[in-house]
Amino acid sequence: MGIKTLEVKLGRISLKTPIIIASGIFSYGEINLDYLDYKKLGAITTKTITFNPRKGNPQPRIWETPSGMINCIGLQNPGIKEFINKKLYSINIPGIKTIVSISGESTDEVKRMTELLVKKGVDAIELNLSCPNVNRENIMVSQSPADTYSFVKAVRDIDGNITLIAKLSPNITDITETALAAEKGGADVLNLINTVKAVAVDIKKKRIIEGGLSGSAIKPIGLRAVFDVYKKVKIPIIGTGGITTGQDALEYILMGASAVGIGSGLFSNPYLIDKIYLSFLQFLKENNIKKISNATGLLNEKKYKGAEKRED
Amino acid sequence: MEAKRFKIRKNIYLTEKLYLLELEGSFNQTPIPGQFVHIKIEPFFLRRPFSIACYKDNSLKILYRIAGRATDILAQKKEDELLDVIGPLGNGFPVNEKWENVYLAGGGTGIAPLLFLTEKLANKNCNITFFYGARTSECIAFNILPYGINYIFSTDDGSYGYKGLVGDILKRYIRKNGVPDVIYSGGPYEMLKGIAEISKGYKVPAFVSLENRMACGVGICYGCVTKIKCKDEWEYKRVCKDGPVFNTEEVLWE
Repeated sequence: MGIKTLEVKLGRISLKTPIIIASGIFSYGEINLDYLDYKKLGAITTKTITFNPRKGNPQPRIWETPSGMINCIGLQNPGIKEFINKKLYSINIPGIKTIVSISGESTDEVKRMTELLVKKGVDAIELNLSCPNVNRENIMVSQSPADTYSFVKAVRDIDGNITLIAKLSPNITDITETALAAEKGGADVLNLINTVKAVAVDIKKKRIIEGGLSGSAIKPIGLRAVFDVYKKVKIPIIGTGGITTGQDALEYILMGASAVGIGSGLFSNPYLIDKIYLSFLQFLKENNIKKISNATGLLNEKKYKGAEKRED
Repeated sequence: MEAKRFKIRKNIYLTEKLYLLELEGSFNQTPIPGQFVHIKIEPFFLRRPFSIACYKDNSLKILYRIAGRATDILAQKKEDELLDVIGPLGNGFPVNEKWENVYLAGGGTGIAPLLFLTEKLANKNCNITFFYGARTSECIAFNILPYGINYIFSTDDGSYGYKGLVGDILKRYIRKNGVPDVIYSGGPYEMLKGIAEISKGYKVPAFVSLENRMACGVGICYGCVTKIKCKDEWEYKRVCKDGPVFNTEEVLWE
């Protein structure tokens, strides 16, 4: 079975494999982890960049929970200018695409960041829409279909060619509404889901830890989001949330994801990428399917008008 | 760094919730004192970081205290069981040929990286004084302390050695015996902060091994950061990657 069987198209870019490192768990890809088999990766997403530098949140920033963890790193990053000066927009590993994750407090900020990144010829931009919109009483952008639309459109208006991924928060009544809004705004790809809002209580030190929950605990929530959204949109989906085994990744594909995002599951399992890679190949072989893109949505059904299974 | 499985050779109870874990095997890259390993303990989602307490003759030792459910499970592990380990991680203690008169200051499990350091310094003809602080006499792991070193013990309740904090004892010792060439330290935050003050007051370089909750352990998640001085006052740096050993001068103590 050739390597091409795992190739997937996301918007205007092709990935060697559908395995993507999610934003925020891999710094800017500048740290070489000796035990990782980079050849099996399709893309690496950078830690989210904001317009201005951010120091990030005070400790505690992480809290382990049953089958997962809460994080409240607070988008610590050097800001877009330093990011570009230090050339952090290109991970520079042959065959691996870089997805630059950006977040802005206003459409103006994301526009200006996009302009700078387009000039540098980045492969793809992922809009992290889980940051609060300062113009809207601090609700998250992707908690409002209207805001989601305007932020995505703002990036799209700057450049029609760059691959644009919209990463959505699951903290909304109906995620298909923001998904459709992002698609209408010009997103090429959706990434479902970001972390789930959560809180932990530290009785000993009498404090609380507010943040986003990730890990196995949120996998069914992510799967449900992909399940619901796949039926309604035409654009491909990256399934992210709680992938800690090869089987988890496969479940996302069968639910409708074209690619998968690996998050905090990578911290404890250095061989997660290998496991996913193998489980994809094995599934294709056992089911006599030619390529992974044909497995997308096998256990789901398209419901939008004129819908048909992708045959690319 | 490497990710590999180590077989447990011994997992011995020392005293008062303190254990010594001996693993069989080695890394391609020889660890430096101050570096740590990240161990997977099922069924927990995150690994747990432990300073390397000894590394020689195909054996790796970890000193740990039962501090929660994960270390409780670790304490129940038996000989020949396998443990999934990533390491060696982080930066170790800097060593300088000119530093002959060395003070080590350790509290609790914070003595672990210092024990490893004594191994390295032993070949260097250094004069080592080891200040070892613990809560009570029962908390002192006497049987793992190497010979040939001048120990100064202290306990919070005075049940063994001097009564008081390691920092205070160290200060008194300096007043009487003079300033060392360097101080290396590991232990609770407040203790390290005390060492930082001594370093500043007596103008003696001091290096401390910081601890923090970690998620990735390899510098990619920014979960374990601590405030480090820089041009614009301070910035958050990663304990796992930029440390865990820092010069006390760099740290913005709180």
